[in-house]
Amino acid sequence: MALSEFQLLRPPNLTEALATLYRHAGEGPRATRILAGGTDLLPSMRQKLFEPEHVLDIRRIPELKGIRETDQGTEIGALTTLHEVEHSELLRARYPVLVQAAKTVASPVLRNMGTTGGNICLDTRCLWYNQSLAWRKSCGFCIKKDGDLCHVAPGGTKCWAAFSGDTPPALLCLNAEIEIGSATGVHRIPLRDFYTGEGDNYRKLRPNELVTRVILPRSSAGYRGAYRKLRIRGSIDYPLAGVAVAVKKSNGHVEDLQIAMTAVNPAPTLVSGLAQLLDRCLSDDAVAETAGDMAARIAKPLTTSALTPEYRREMIRVFTKRAVLDVLGQRPRTNDQRRDY
Amino acid sequence: MKTTESRRNGTKALSSYARPDGRGARPTRPMTDFSIIGKPIAMVDAAGKTSGAGKYTDDLSLPGMLVGKILHSPHPHARIERIDTSKAEQLDGVIAVAIGADAPNTYGILPVGHDEHALAVDKVRYVGDNVACVAAEDEATAESALELIDVDYELLPAYFDPEDSMKTERDLIHDNKAHNLEKDYHHVFGDPEKGFAEADQIAEARYIANEVTHAAMEPHSTLASFELDSHTGKLGRLTVWSSTQVPYYLQHKLSLVLEMPMSQIRVIKPLVGGGFGGKSEVIPLEIIAAIAARKAKRPVKITYTREEVFWAHRGRPRTIIDLKTGVKNDGRITAVKARVVQDGGGYCSYGVVTILYSGALLGALYDIPNIQYDGYRVLTNKPACGAMRGHGTVNVRFAFESQLDELAARINLDRAEIRRRNLLQPPCITVNGLRVQSYGLPECIDKVVERSDWQNRKGKLPRGRGLGIACSHYVSGAANSIIRSDMPHSTVNIKIDRDGGVVVYTGASEIGQGSDTMTAQIAAEVLGCSLARVKVIAADTDLTPIDIGSYSSRVTFMAGNATLRAAQEVKKQIASAAAKKMVCSPEELVFRNDLVSRNGGAGTGHVGTGALARPVPAGFLGTNSSAHASVSGRVEGQILRGSLQQKRKDQGPKDSMSFEEAVVAAIDFHGALTGTGSYAPPPEARGGKHKGAGVGPSPAYSYSAQVAEVTVDEDTGEVTVHKVWAAHDCGRALNPVSVEGQIIGSVWMGMGQALTEEMIWKDGLLMNPGLLEYRSPSSVESPEVEPIIVESIDAEGPFGAKECSEGSLAATIPAIANAIYDAVGIRLHEAPFTPERVLAALRAKKNAKTLNLTEGVDPTAPARFREHGGAVWFKGKGAERVGRAPSPANGD
Repeated sequence: MALSEFQLLRPPNLTEALATLYRHAGEGPRATRILAGGTDLLPSMRQKLFEPEHVLDIRRIPELKGIRETDQGTEIGALTTLHEVEHSELLRARYPVLVQAAKTVASPVLRNMGTTGGNICLDTRCLWYNQSLAWRKSCGFCIKKDGDLCHVAPGGTKCWAAFSGDTPPALLCLNAEIEIGSATGVHRIPLRDFYTGEGDNYRKLRPNELVTRVILPRSSAGYRGAYRKLRIRGSIDYPLAGVAVAVKKSNGHVEDLQIAMTAVNPAPTLVSGLAQLLDRCLSDDAVAETAGDMAARIAKPLTTSALTPEYRREMIRVFTKRAVLDVLGQRPRTNDQRRDY
Repeated sequence: MKTTESRRNGTKALSSYARPDGRGARPTRPMTDFSIIGKPIAMVDAAGKTSGAGKYTDDLSLPGMLVGKILHSPHPHARIERIDTSKAEQLDGVIAVAIGADAPNTYGILPVGHDEHALAVDKVRYVGDNVACVAAEDEATAESALELIDVDYELLPAYFDPEDSMKTERDLIHDNKAHNLEKDYHHVFGDPEKGFAEADQIAEARYIANEVTHAAMEPHSTLASFELDSHTGKLGRLTVWSSTQVPYYLQHKLSLVLEMPMSQIRVIKPLVGGGFGGKSEVIPLEIIAAIAARKAKRPVKITYTREEVFWAHRGRPRTIIDLKTGVKNDGRITAVKARVVQDGGGYCSYGVVTILYSGALLGALYDIPNIQYDGYRVLTNKPACGAMRGHGTVNVRFAFESQLDELAARINLDRAEIRRRNLLQPPCITVNGLRVQSYGLPECIDKVVERSDWQNRKGKLPRGRGLGIACSHYVSGAANSIIRSDMPHSTVNIKIDRDGGVVVYTGASEIGQGSDTMTAQIAAEVLGCSLARVKVIAADTDLTPIDIGSYSSRVTFMAGNATLRAAQEVKKQIASAAAKKMVCSPEELVFRNDLVSRNGGAGTGHVGTGALARPVPAGFLGTNSSAHASVSGRVEGQILRGSLQQKRKDQGPKDSMSFEEAVVAAIDFHGALTGTGSYAPPPEARGGKHKGAGVGPSPAYSYSAQVAEVTVDEDTGEVTVHKVWAAHDCGRALNPVSVEGQIIGSVWMGMGQALTEEMIWKDGLLMNPGLLEYRSPSSVESPEVEPIIVESIDAEGPFGAKECSEGSLAATIPAIANAIYDAVGIRLHEAPFTPERVLAALRAKKNAKTLNLTEGVDPTAPARFREHGGAVWFKGKGAERVGRAPSPANGD
């Protein structure tokens, strides 16, 4: 499958990049696409899911790279590769849940290319959408691209394509913010406000805007964390369900518990109501059990991927329970011997 | 052939092991002391593949070459009313657009199955069927042109489930196939009714194996180019480079479709990046490229996208197996009854052979006195299924070995022991007419039991961890070729010139399995020369004599025997000339280490040049162990006429000659030094007389036994395979490292089918036509595989060798199924054992709250194939370029 024609723009610095983006933003299916790692962009362009007039290559922009400590916490440049996140001693010490999640993305080769910003901005996925033009034509175009029907929820008008990034649930648990730049300035928003919950218009980012960095607050440093990912293979696969858990303990007491899910909704989703759960002073097992039920209740998996929706929902429950027990310091008794690569 | 009654009904013992006419392919030397055979040897084509210098078809290009792109059908079943290519033709850069009318002749791999058009003529029969081909200056232009081709379709009712498809009387997929039934067979051997009556325990169940495909690393690719005829200026000879396992069949089918004599068509097979059966027949692009090249009058190359590879398919059909087995309390099988339904897809492909293998290979593994087999190969509106590693036997073997395990549990017999109780006693002819000679199965079982510490560990592992055993077998090539004729299945020519270089011309197709290396090894071993001296020219229909191809694990046995015979013929000529020089009889000469020597060669008179290719085995050169053999490639080692005459004057008769000297002597004596060998399976191995008896017989069968160790996560249903002990009887391992590679590869591929690989369908639409969603195992899931080579030394195989690349696969799936049972006590009757299926069975066993994990299909007792969820809204309507909201009637 050939790439269709586009103009490649390669600005040398952020200012020029934002100015270029402002000039050439475009809109709709022809909107400019950002090339960071390219691991999702290029296959999607070949499948004619994106048909941009311009592709903005930001890979040379130094300001977007690297992990830095600041007064407020830790900043990760949007171009920082997942490999770098995975191997950062700083992040491992302070934000282990993020490192764990980054470690499970795709495969080592793809993590060398794939970036933090790219994983946050990752297009939502659906078996009926991530297909070639010829394939999509054979069953009728869907809401997400070129059409107005939904194969997953026939008759429906909402797109259920699932958000399938691994790091955003970890970032949500850590209460991360992202910085969005445009030619008119930069602003910060909490990551949880970035996603819309609509599969076809899944993020709040205008065509002339660029995610420039992620900010992890100092207050989330030191949270223990775990990320559990449902996948068929131990490598390569996107998550079919994923759960990130982060917990702050002091003096043996659980002060804060955060749980977020991926791959079962059109947005990575925080589980709410956990503070009240902690207030009930339950045993660790009961907390884990209840948290699992709470997570499974808000998971809305549909037939957007392999494995049945009911199974994926059940795994949200099981994985949440396991991850919570894990971070509370009790390794769950399982014969789970899988490794992630 | 004389036969005597055996202890059991049906199976006939053979009184004589070797072939009665004495024409067996026995090597002339004692079969233990080899210099090249049996040694671990790097593949002769390894350097090109590992360095990237090797050329696969897609690496080739020609001046003026165009890119071909194919328009595929968006409908599963439709009549083509009109095709308008005019807009596409007018696009700048488009040179030609080919459609079905450009080459309307039918073809198909089987003579009984000529039901394919390279490009659809009247109908399309699956989503992905081939409609038109654009030849353009570049890929993007060709793809744009595809969008400009207008096709009007009349939609027809489509059939996706074979059991539904069999019931239909109208809107047939092929007009001449009533009930969409490609072929059915009904075999009864022995007296199954009586057998079941004698049984103490009978198990009966339905098994379902879902559809898998080859997923070879290299996508199919073909480059076709016509020459201009020097006399007429018109298109003349055609050359086709293609990633194929069967260059001669391709030449034949091209000739049929293009209406050209075969002699005007040359097929060349460059390096092939894996086939596994997916390239063992003519794939549409191979003919389409030639049609497009003819129309464009320029070379055309087509390389499939991965999606197109899935549509071309020819993989293992999803299969329903209704199996019934009876055993006595001592474990002996009294009868087997199998009803097999294969979802064959829209065309015949190898289907008739597949459905026959599924029945025939119930025999020849165990001693089964009574067999009833009902096989149905059904047409559906899906991509055609064909041959895939372990062709026909794999899915039935999964069912059989699972059921045998269940029966062993019922009669409280060790799972390994029940298999031992049902061994054949070769030499014999099975109840369904298969001749079995070498039979390493008992040793295979012994070895895996021993290495896995079965006796101490089976049933004694912690909960969640288990061991399972299963056996399998496979043919070493089919005793009857697809095209019934008396022609040899393989022919090999050898030419040696004065440089001492041995050139072997073989039609056998190296597809990564080691065919070229095997050929070089056998030639070098027979001729006693170094491997470096041998050059293999393979799979080029202009240069190499006919070989029917790389499929059904036939190459080592058949092309190997042909190579052996060709080399023996050449050797005889060299020996007679050399004997004259040495004043001895040819029988006294030994060929070894690039020397021809008398009586083992105490080579006193020889003045050696060059270096040894490898250390001389102690004692081989007698007292003169410092003598050096010469190798090719050194100028001083090459003996041209003048220097030979000089040497002759200098030296009298001697005890040994260098290989070159002997070759030159032979050429001087005979005028030229060439040899030919061919192989056709012996009549005794060609099977019985019943309808369909042609499929299943083989000159020799390979045998496998495997033990798998797994853990099952009881909360998630995830299965992890930790280790597989895999013993395989390959007759003789000509190249042990290559045999081990084949065993490991088979286990790995079998594990894929057991756990993760599954083509997911929704109304004929393949939901996962890519390697991201069609999940072959990655290195992470790959268990440790301990390959164990068992050598039964077959009387007719080259140096005793048999099959080694397919037979192991079939044992892996039931070994894992049986290990899952051992670990957590669930018996899955549907493969693959995905976590949702495993968990559904576990929860049912525990009486846990019902969750609809498998959408209505009970994996322990499946009744039907499960479709993917969601809705293909076009059902009966037709897709538009821009979709409309589906009316409720269309939704599921």
